[in-house]
Amino acid sequence: MQAIIESINWSIVAPFIVIQGILMIVAILDWAKADDFRGSRWLWFFIIVVINTIGPIIYFIFGRRR
Amino acid sequence: MSLLTVNNLTKTYDGKTAVNNVSFEFEHGKCIALIGPNGAGKTTILRTLAGLLKPSEGTIHISDTSLNDDVRKYIGYLPQYPVFHSWMTGMEFLVYSGQLALLSKKQAKDRAQVLLEKVGIADARNMRIGKYSGGMKQRLGIAQAIIHKPKLLMLDEPVSSLDPIGRREVLTLMEELKDEMSILFSTHILSDADEVSDALLLLHQGNIVESGSMTALRQKYQTSTIALEFESDLPSYQAKVNALPSISGSYLERNVLQVNATDIAIARQELLATAAKENWELVNFTLNRASLEDMFMKVVNS
Amino acid sequence: MQWMTLFNKEMVENWRNKKWIWVPLVIILLAILDPISNYYLPQIIEAVGGLPDGAIINLPEFAPAEVVMMSLSQLSSLGVLVIVLMAMGTIASERKSGVSELILVKPVSYRNYITAKWAALLALVWAALFVGLLASWYYTNILYGDLSFKSFLLIFIFYGLWLTFVISIIIFFNTLVKTPGLVAFLSILTIMAMSIMTQIFGHILEWSPNNLSSYIYEMVIAGEVSSDLVATSVITIVLSLILVFASIFTFKAKELAS
Repeated sequence: MQAIIESINWSIVAPFIVIQGILMIVAILDWAKADDFRGSRWLWFFIIVVINTIGPIIYFIFGRRR
Repeated sequence: MSLLTVNNLTKTYDGKTAVNNVSFEFEHGKCIALIGPNGAGKTTILRTLAGLLKPSEGTIHISDTSLNDDVRKYIGYLPQYPVFHSWMTGMEFLVYSGQLALLSKKQAKDRAQVLLEKVGIADARNMRIGKYSGGMKQRLGIAQAIIHKPKLLMLDEPVSSLDPIGRREVLTLMEELKDEMSILFSTHILSDADEVSDALLLLHQGNIVESGSMTALRQKYQTSTIALEFESDLPSYQAKVNALPSISGSYLERNVLQVNATDIAIARQELLATAAKENWELVNFTLNRASLEDMFMKVVNS
Repeated sequence: MQWMTLFNKEMVENWRNKKWIWVPLVIILLAILDPISNYYLPQIIEAVGGLPDGAIINLPEFAPAEVVMMSLSQLSSLGVLVIVLMAMGTIASERKSGVSELILVKPVSYRNYITAKWAALLALVWAALFVGLLASWYYTNILYGDLSFKSFLLIFIFYGLWLTFVISIIIFFNTLVKTPGLVAFLSILTIMAMSIMTQIFGHILEWSPNNLSSYIYEMVIAGEVSSDLVATSVITIVLSLILVFASIFTFKAKELAS
């Protein structure tokens, strides 16, 4: 296991993880300011935080009424 | 010279006739109220005039416009439940509306500032519309409708969703706007129409059943009644009243005798003279003028 | 100018609702997903328990052109789905909510209204595609082998035409119905139906927009733009324009209130 983790070049994989992080942070910032949710406010919070990558995307598409 | 001429306007949806063969003219500088119960066709007429619906039959003409001209330039319209881009601020929405109505950005900004003051939401100019109250949205709605100084302003139930204070303010605003443009508005509240309009169009089931100025309509449908109260023995007094030549009929409403007459002035004279002569035990004598509601009921039922 | 007013409004709206942030990020993720995961496939197999004894790991070596195709194929499936869902309400939801009652009683030209929305979506999607493919190109170069910058640019331009066509389909259905979900459904259905038709009638529909990806692949391999690719591109552009004109036409014929 140790060997596997060492064999991965983290500078290659890092951008991938960083982008997922940015998506989640932007979604949470948007969520914090919003007041026009489709459905429950906290349900959306869990969707954003728990479901990796897909959660924030679903939130951006369906989360708000506008 | 009429500003707006509507000829034989008919609008049918799915086989149902919402507006049936409606014709009317509208002069510059007038304020006309479209009156009628819900479902009478008021909104359909306004939407058709605004170009949101296409007439099934009939024509709409606005003066000083050629065939190729876009009549929307001369029209301002406020729907009954205006919906805005809630992510914009009030100021942004007005500037956007103004620019869409072909004002330059600078013109639109100047005009928006003026109107925000005028409708009384200047303090909220930089607030997101999503946070506006119903009354503020209604005011913003009026402001966006007049941003391009239209010749004809159309308002669909402009005050019906407002509280008494908001209602008063909007009616006052309409009174002010009458100097600058013609106004056509719909309402189901007759006292509002009475207050600001010069003329009424009464709608019922898609038809204009009556129209004219307030005074003319009052005269035409003036069917005042006289309410009489006596100390006792109502039935015998009723017989005496009915015997008078000027009285066309009467009915008892609890302990009040309601008297109808063809000519109210003669009836009043005759009643009072007889009462004095025969020493009636008269407690109360009230002359009731017909309310708009009565008038409306009468028109609809005839 | 009215067109610029409408276009600017779309740009500001897409900025405030964060589309300009999340759409490019999602496209980047989709574009680099396969290049990275295929590179690490041996380690991934090992990590989930490895292969039974005696099994030989025989993974193909990918050529740069194949890696690019993996990115494009992710974009053509999940990428298109995301774009459809992102744009499904651009006109439909304005009509459904009633905002259009305020906007379209102003002397707004329907042509301006539609083309401004179309252009704003194209700007967003082309920008997202650019960064997405740039990331994919970068990973291809460091992990698999050389792919020229010129190839990258050509891939970007030709594949951009496919997404332009997708946006045009979405705009068209936006003017036809006013339920965003239905717009998405009809758009996906159309794209899938076209793809099936292209497979079945491949010999007749040589220049179907759905073939853009395979001609792009040939281009990367051969290092030159084939006449089939040019013809398919022209067809794609023409079809997109027809859809936009049809959108304007349907919108004019529609009653805007109900």
